[in-house]
Amino acid sequence: MFHRPRLKIFLIFSCLLSSTLALENQPPACYNLNMSFFVSLGIVILAMLIMACLQLQPGIFSLFYHYASGKYSKSRASDMTLFFILGAETAAACLFFCSYLFANLFFFYRFRPETSFFAWVMAGILLALAFMGFFCYYRAGQGTKLFIPRRCAQNLDHAARSVKTRSDAFTLGALSSVCELPFTLPLYIITSVEIMEMSVEFFPSHLLTILYIVIPTIPLFITRWKFQLGYNLADIQKSRVKDKAFTRIILCFSYVAISILFIYFRILT
Amino acid sequence: MIDETTEKSLVKTLKIDAKAIGIPAGAADIFIQKSLAAAKKSLASRKLITEKDLKRALVKELKKYSADFAYVYENRDKII
Repeated sequence: MFHRPRLKIFLIFSCLLSSTLALENQPPACYNLNMSFFVSLGIVILAMLIMACLQLQPGIFSLFYHYASGKYSKSRASDMTLFFILGAETAAACLFFCSYLFANLFFFYRFRPETSFFAWVMAGILLALAFMGFFCYYRAGQGTKLFIPRRCAQNLDHAARSVKTRSDAFTLGALSSVCELPFTLPLYIITSVEIMEMSVEFFPSHLLTILYIVIPTIPLFITRWKFQLGYNLADIQKSRVKDKAFTRIILCFSYVAISILFIYFRILT
Repeated sequence: MIDETTEKSLVKTLKIDAKAIGIPAGAADIFIQKSLAAAKKSLASRKLITEKDLKRALVKELKKYSADFAYVYENRDKII
């Protein structure tokens, strides 16, 4: 029956067309709800991917773990790193809720005609970040020198070196979250409202909020686990250098994908 | 000639690095002292020694004892 390729293509296209028409004939509210939910989920997952790919926090963390294990016993260093991670998560949670309030206050993202200008601004920022993620996130040259000013990097290095107590480690973790803000603030603003506006009964949005805060710290747990397995800073840094180009590409594509989803489903539709 | 305080702080930092990498304290002391002495010797003919010169010479010497140790010392400022 399907010997002729043209007939095959015609049948496939007709099936696709009929399924599209069938989708369009469904009740619009239900369709919008489902689409909106999946678009929100897609944006949040992409944002999680970006946040997990960012390298400043793992960089500071590996420096901190290295210095801590050089100065203190293994158990104390391991204990202090937990407080670093806790600090990073606390800062992420605070930033998430602050950005939600910020977005609500300024009507950045309510898909109303009067606020579409701000939505376009957010989309523009995301596209700019895609460009910056590819070209400016890593500085040119050997190693994994990041976008932050050199003086700031030196201060962070000094802070990682001079951590003595758990509270210092907690503060350093929080500080590392704040230093990543140029690349994460638009994501926080968009995802906070996307998560809060998910109104589907079967899917608890609070769970997604927790996941959104916890998943970006998975690289820290992996780094900690690697240190505990016996890897040293040289091994970890070599793997970071090896993955540099891949991280760039992932960052760029994820930012572009988020901005396309955002523009198509939240501004144009 | 390397400044005494610079040398002290350098040795302290290198000891921390060595312990973090997992080199035993005694061996680390020997590596550091030998590498520093060799680096000083190779730079003795120069009138002006910059930080980069010292680092390059020290990395070259440290590589003989531990590649990871040398890598960490060389790339510490290139991590973030």
